[in-house]
Order: sequence, then C-alpha cells, then structure tokens
Amino acid sequence: MLARTKEILNYKDMIYSLVKRELRGRYQKSVLGFLWSFISPLCQIAVFTFVFTYVFPSNIPDYYIYLMTGMIPWQFFSDSISQGACSVIYNADMTKKIYFPREVLTISSVSAKFVNLLLSMLVVFGFILVSRIGFSPLVLLLPIVLVIEYAIALGFALVFASITVYLRDMEYVVNVILMAWIWATPIMYSPDTLVEQYRWIADLLRVNPLTSVMYLFRDILYYHQYPTTIDWVLPAIWGVVLMVVGSLIFKRLEGNFAEEL
Amino acid sequence: MSNMNDDVVIRVENVKKHFKVYPDKGKTLKDKVLFRHRNRYELREVLKGISFEVKRGEAIGLIGKNGCGKSTTLKMLTKILRPNEGTIEIKGRVSSLIELGAGFHPDLTGRENIYINASIFGIKAKEVDERLDDIIRFSELEEYIDNPVRTYSSGMYMRLAFAVAINVDADVLLIDEILAVGDVSFQTKCFEKLKEIKAKGTTIVIVSHAMSQIEQICDRCIWIEEGLILEEGKAREIGERYLASMEEKRLEKKEKEFQEKLENSKGLDEIKSGEVCVEEEVKRESETEDVPKEKLPAFCDSMAVRMGKRDVEIVDFAILNSEGENVLVLHTGEQIEAVIKYRVNVDKVKVDCRFGISRDDGVHCYGSSSYGDEGDYKELSGMGEIHFIIHDLNLLPGKYFIDIGLRDEEQIACDIIKKVREMQITLSNTKESGIVSMKHKWL
Repeated sequence: MLARTKEILNYKDMIYSLVKRELRGRYQKSVLGFLWSFISPLCQIAVFTFVFTYVFPSNIPDYYIYLMTGMIPWQFFSDSISQGACSVIYNADMTKKIYFPREVLTISSVSAKFVNLLLSMLVVFGFILVSRIGFSPLVLLLPIVLVIEYAIALGFALVFASITVYLRDMEYVVNVILMAWIWATPIMYSPDTLVEQYRWIADLLRVNPLTSVMYLFRDILYYHQYPTTIDWVLPAIWGVVLMVVGSLIFKRLEGNFAEEL
Repeated sequence: MSNMNDDVVIRVENVKKHFKVYPDKGKTLKDKVLFRHRNRYELREVLKGISFEVKRGEAIGLIGKNGCGKSTTLKMLTKILRPNEGTIEIKGRVSSLIELGAGFHPDLTGRENIYINASIFGIKAKEVDERLDDIIRFSELEEYIDNPVRTYSSGMYMRLAFAVAINVDADVLLIDEILAVGDVSFQTKCFEKLKEIKAKGTTIVIVSHAMSQIEQICDRCIWIEEGLILEEGKAREIGERYLASMEEKRLEKKEKEFQEKLENSKGLDEIKSGEVCVEEEVKRESETEDVPKEKLPAFCDSMAVRMGKRDVEIVDFAILNSEGENVLVLHTGEQIEAVIKYRVNVDKVKVDCRFGISRDDGVHCYGSSSYGDEGDYKELSGMGEIHFIIHDLNLLPGKYFIDIGLRDEEQIACDIIKKVREMQITLSNTKESGIVSMKHKWL
C-alpha cells in the first residue's frame, strides 16, 4: 500500500497534466469557456432559490446562502463520482497500451472537479460578502473540510471506477444513486425544521457521510458556530476508511483492466 | 533480484499467459444475470512458457506471425498485462513506444500536448522542459507547435507523438511495430535516432514484421511460434530462416488450395473417360451462345484469356513435377512435364503447339514451339495428349504464368490460352536474384 502510494506520487506530474487537460480542454472551443463551470451551478442555485422562496417557501433565513453553501460542495461530490466512475473506461486506449498506476486516472478526474470546487467557492465567498451574513474567523477551518470531502469523494470514485470496468451498468446506477443521494443530504432543506415526531430522520441522515460534511460547511460559512466534535470526527473517519477501502478494491480489480477493456 | 546477474537487465522466466475468450460476452448487469450461459468462456493460451534474458545494452527483436504472442510478451514487459505464471524482472526505467500520442487532446496546442503525453510515460515536467527544444526540433513542427493538435495532418500528429516517445531517457526501451511513421525521410531519422539510443547503452526490445529493420538494429532475435520460443540467435540467421519458413507456409497453403480446387473440379482421370468430357463440352458450348463472355473450363485459372477458332480444342492441362504429381509449387532445377489434352472437332488438323512462361510482372521468360523445334506440324485427330518436358527448370523463385496454344498451318489460332495456370517456383536458400538461375562460380 505504501509502495503503491509512492508510485502514484511519482506520477504526480501526470495527474497535474491530466487535470490541466481536463480543465483547459473541456471548454476550449466554447465562447464563454471556463465561465461555464460557474454559470451552470449558479443557474441551478437561482432556480432552486426561486422554487424554495415562492413555490415551497422555506423559513430558512437568507436561503440562497444556505443553499449555495450546500449545493456547491454537493456539485463537486456528485460530479466527482459520476465522472470518476467513467474515468478508467473513457481512457481505455491509454490503459490498454501504456503502464501507469491506474488510480491516476480517477485521482485526476476527481482533482479536476476539486479545482472547480475551489473556484466556485470563490463565487460563494463573493455572495457571502455582499449578503448580511459575512465571515467569521472560523473560515480558516474551511481547508480541512475541503480535504475531508475530497477524501470521501475520491474513495467512492475509486470503488465505482473499478467496478464500472467490469460492469458497464455502474455508470447509470451511479446516476440513480446520486439522484436519491441529493435528497438524503441536507442541502435544500434543514433537519432543524423537522417536526418533533420526525426528529429521527435527522439521526438517520447521520448514516450518510455527506450529512456531516454539510453541517461542517454550514457551521463555518452560514451559522458561524464551531462544529460539534461528532461533526468533525465522523466525516474524517469516513474519509480515511473510504480512501483505504476504495484503493484496496481498486487495487484488487485493477489487475485485469487491460484485458477487460 | 538477488540472483540476477549485473549484466542482465530483463529476465523472463517460464512466463505463461492465457486470455479468456467470451464468444458473446454480456457487459451489462442484465446480461450477467439473465444470460449466465453467455459468461462461458474458452481459455486461449497465448504464451505457453517462454524464458529469455536480455543483457544491458543489447537489442533484441521478437518475431513471429500474427497472434503468436510477441505483442503480449511486450505488454507484459511494460506491466500492462500480468503473466498467469512465471516471473518477469526488469531493472531500471522502462519506456515503451507502443501507443503513440496517448492522451493527446485535439483542442490543446502541440506544446501542451507534449507535456501531457510525456507525463503519461512518467516523465517529470522538469525533464520535459530540458528536452522541449530537442523534441520540437525532432518533430520538425517548429512553426505549428503552438497550434491546436486538431489542425495537424495525421503525419504531423504522429511525428509529434514519436518525437516525445523517442526523446525519453530510459534504461529499457520497448517498441511495438511503430517505426512506420511519417514519410521516408522521417522514418530514416527515427531509425538513426534509435541507433543512437542503442549506442548510448539502452536496452531495446522490438516487435516488428519488418525483418530488415530488426536485422539492422538487433543483435539477437527471438522467434516465437504458437506461444513458445522456436529459435533464438543472431538476427540475420533467424531472420532468414523465419522468412524462408513464412514463404514455405504461404506456398504450402497455396498448394493446398490448388489441390482442393483440382479435387472439386473433375480430376485428370475422369477426363480420360471422354464421354463425361464431351457432355460437359456440349453443355458449355450451348451456354456460350447466350453468354457473350466465355466461361472458362475448370483447368484454367480465373485470370486466363482464351481465343481461337476451336477446330482443335484444349480440354485439359496439367503440370507434373518430377514425381508425376499435378502441383502448383515447383522447385528450381526440377524436371517438369506439361500435359496438354486435346480434342479435334474436325476430321484432322495440322498444328504448331506452343508453350510459354511469363513472370507475374509480365516479363516473357520463355517460349517454345513444336514447329520451330521439329520443322514440321503435328498432325492431330480425335483425342490425345501432347507432352512437353523441361529437364532443368532453372527459373528463380517467384510467381509465373503459363501460356499454351495451338495454331494451324497458316498460324491462325485454333485454341490459345494465355495464363492458363499459375506456377509458384521456390528454392530454399538461394542467393541468386533475377529470372534465371545459372551455373556459376567465383574465382
């Protein structure tokens, strides 16, 4: 495992190149280019804000900030997993002909999304700045939250990427899972607003590793309160476990990639 | 690694590899669950246990026909595939020229793609910086290097890809059949570069069908056949034997096809019993009336051209080798006998019988006429055979066609068939070239 990690680190220039290719290449021919990675989540937020302000009014104050601080991290997670799942099969030619640690493909795919997340966070910061919410010194803890989310996303992506090679359905299964997952995560609603008899739902949501991640983002950026210990520890453990399990499954399945593709 | 001699860079020991071949594989969940029987597979053994060693600075070539396992061997050396059994040890940094242009993004510039491509081979960006000028110069794309790769011609694309791949510092370089890049001058350049790399002490393993390239670069050659090493030795010697065996196999196959064709059509014996023959002929003649293009009889090749007034007609033709067998493949120096069977459709006729050989590129190699030799015409009637014997067939190996013909006293064509038969001539280990073999010696 350690040797493997070292080998992957040897290929960090490849990860860097592939991330750059992904980011530079993706919007190269469109007029608005790179701006699209901001425009589409912003439009999505605008639509949801409209719906939850006028159609199903939410009693959460400054709802658009609440939504943004959840939706942008979710977008990263969801893109990482749906595209990470295809990261190996989309690079089949390369995988069949050249040797490199295959994890590099998934890592690059997730990392490219992570760069997008970082840039989108700047936009979120802009909105927070002009809103009446503002910043608290807690924002300095944000990098830790981002790293935890990265670890969780990469762990899942490694699992799905390696399974997709053998079972192409996974590509679609993942999208179905993600569609349900977004509602199993407190992004558009808050568990605090649940009536007393349904409080257990909030506990159930804890099973979802992303729930705590959302609490972390919200506490730091929206509520300006120090997150509870359980909100720190739970996702951190998830992150480590998923990374280890993900790489083990990947390693186990990786041997026959070239033959399967 | 401990028992590995310092000089040995690659050690392959008793490596076996098999693939699962699914006749109809289900890739989706539905297929996997519902059609379990589709998941049945056959094991195809590609490598049945090969071992070899390569010393530092040595260049070896892997040869063999398609599907013999040489590319699989190379892929295992690169670690893309894993052997099912046996071990492979390689010392030092391995670079492979197996896939050119991996990771190229069409919308990015040539320069950007150099970095991406190089990084996939495990080269650090810093090293690329140092070598960027060399790579660009080698690719001869100085003017276009900042244009998107999608605007490149396929030749330019390959040149860029090759330039990156070959400007890699590696201890071991693996190359699979990719020296055919770009125009001739670029190929020569690549080849020179490869020699240069070898001179620097890089160990090289090449898979190629171009024997001349292998012979020029490789010190040693390994001939793989059906998953086993058949022979190993000096590139030139193995190469010669390999090519000779390939030629032999090709001719064997042709001979087999020819014999099958003979069997399917009516054999010589059957034709001897004239009645069958006459019936056939009659049927054919009636066909001739409504079909403008004449249907050729079975003894003619499909390429044959026939003409003549047919007062005498050729009804069968065979070339017999020294053992009296009707064959397609003959050897230089052999005695051959041409048998022309005829049927005279009038009372009797006087003819001049002709026999000619031309090479497949149209060069007329030999011609002979019975009138020219005997000074008189052959008087024929009814049915019969004319035999023509060549004691010493001294044509050199190649593909030849035979022309036969019968002309009457006024030299008007009775029945002439050009390219009636193909004839493959072979001779192992000949060092002569041209059309004919001549008795010779050097003093």
